[in-house]
Amino acid sequence: MQKAYKLSILYYILFTLLLVSSAIILFEHKIGFSFTSVLEYYIGNEEKFIPSQSSLGILKIVLPHIFVFGLISMVLLHFIVFTNHRYKKATLSLVYLTFITAILEIFTPILIVNGLEFFAYIKLLSFFLFLIFIIYISWLLFYSITYD
Amino acid sequence: MKFTLINNIQDDKAMSLILKGFLVFILLYLISDMLVMNSNFGISIESVNTTLFGDEDEYIDPLNEAAFLEFWHTQIFFIMMILLTLNTIFIRVAKRSRNTLTNLLMISALTSLIFLPLAFYTSASFVALYIITFFIWHIVAIYMIFYSFWKLNAKSI
Repeated sequence: MQKAYKLSILYYILFTLLLVSSAIILFEHKIGFSFTSVLEYYIGNEEKFIPSQSSLGILKIVLPHIFVFGLISMVLLHFIVFTNHRYKKATLSLVYLTFITAILEIFTPILIVNGLEFFAYIKLLSFFLFLIFIIYISWLLFYSITYD
Repeated sequence: MKFTLINNIQDDKAMSLILKGFLVFILLYLISDMLVMNSNFGISIESVNTTLFGDEDEYIDPLNEAAFLEFWHTQIFFIMMILLTLNTIFIRVAKRSRNTLTNLLMISALTSLIFLPLAFYTSASFVALYIITFFIWHIVAIYMIFYSFWKLNAKSI
C-alpha cells in the first residue's frame, strides 16, 4: 500500500475515534448508561415527565443509523483485507461480531418498547461491544500500517 | 475503491467519467454545506457565537446541549466520509504535494471538529479557530476537487 493511502487511512481512524467519542457523549447525555435510564428513555416515566416512544418513532431515529453503522463497519473492515490479518480466521469472527452487535444496537429499542425490558441490558451491552470492535479494528489497522 | 488499482485512469473512460461525476457531487455538497451552515449555524464569529450562546438583545436562545451534540456527531460522520473519498481520488491522480495537502486537509478538518465542542463547553475564543479551520479544509477540499478534475482530463496519470 502506498504511503499516501496509509496516511489517509490513519486520518480516517482518527475521525472514527472522534465519532466514537461523540457517540459516547451523546448516548450519556440523551439516554444514560444505566438499565433504568435506558428503560425510561424508551418506555417513559410519568413522574419524571419523560414521554414513551413508539416503534415508528424509534424507526425514524434509527433509519440513518442503519446506513451509517453498515457503512462505517464496511469501510473499516475492508481496510483489514489489505493487511496481514486478511488470512486469519479471527478476522471472519470479527466481521460477524461487528455486524451482529451493530444490528442488536440498532433494533433492541423496538423490542424494549414492545415489552421486552430485558433488552435494555442488550442495548447497553451491544452499544459498548460495537464501539469496542470499532476501536479494536482501528487498532489492528493502525498497528498494521505502522509496524507491518 | 477499484479505481485505486487501475494503472491509467485516463484510458479507462468509464471510470474517469464516474470519478468526475463524483467530484462534481462533492463540490456541490461542499458549496451547499457552506450555504446551509451560513443560514442555520453561521460561518462568521458573530453568527456562530449567537447560535451557540444566544443573544439576549435579539431574544435568541442558546443552542441546547442535546441539539449541539447531535449536530457535532452528524458533522463528524459526513466530514470523515467526504474527505476519505475525496482524498483517495486526489492521492490516485496527484503526484506532487499529496502528503502535504492530505495533512493540511485532514488536520484542519479534525481540529475544526475539536474546536467546536471546545467553544461550546469551555471558551468562546475557540469559535474563531473553528471558523479559520472550517474555511481551510473547505478551500483545500475545493482545490483537490479542481486539481483531480484537471488531472483526470490530462493525457496520462
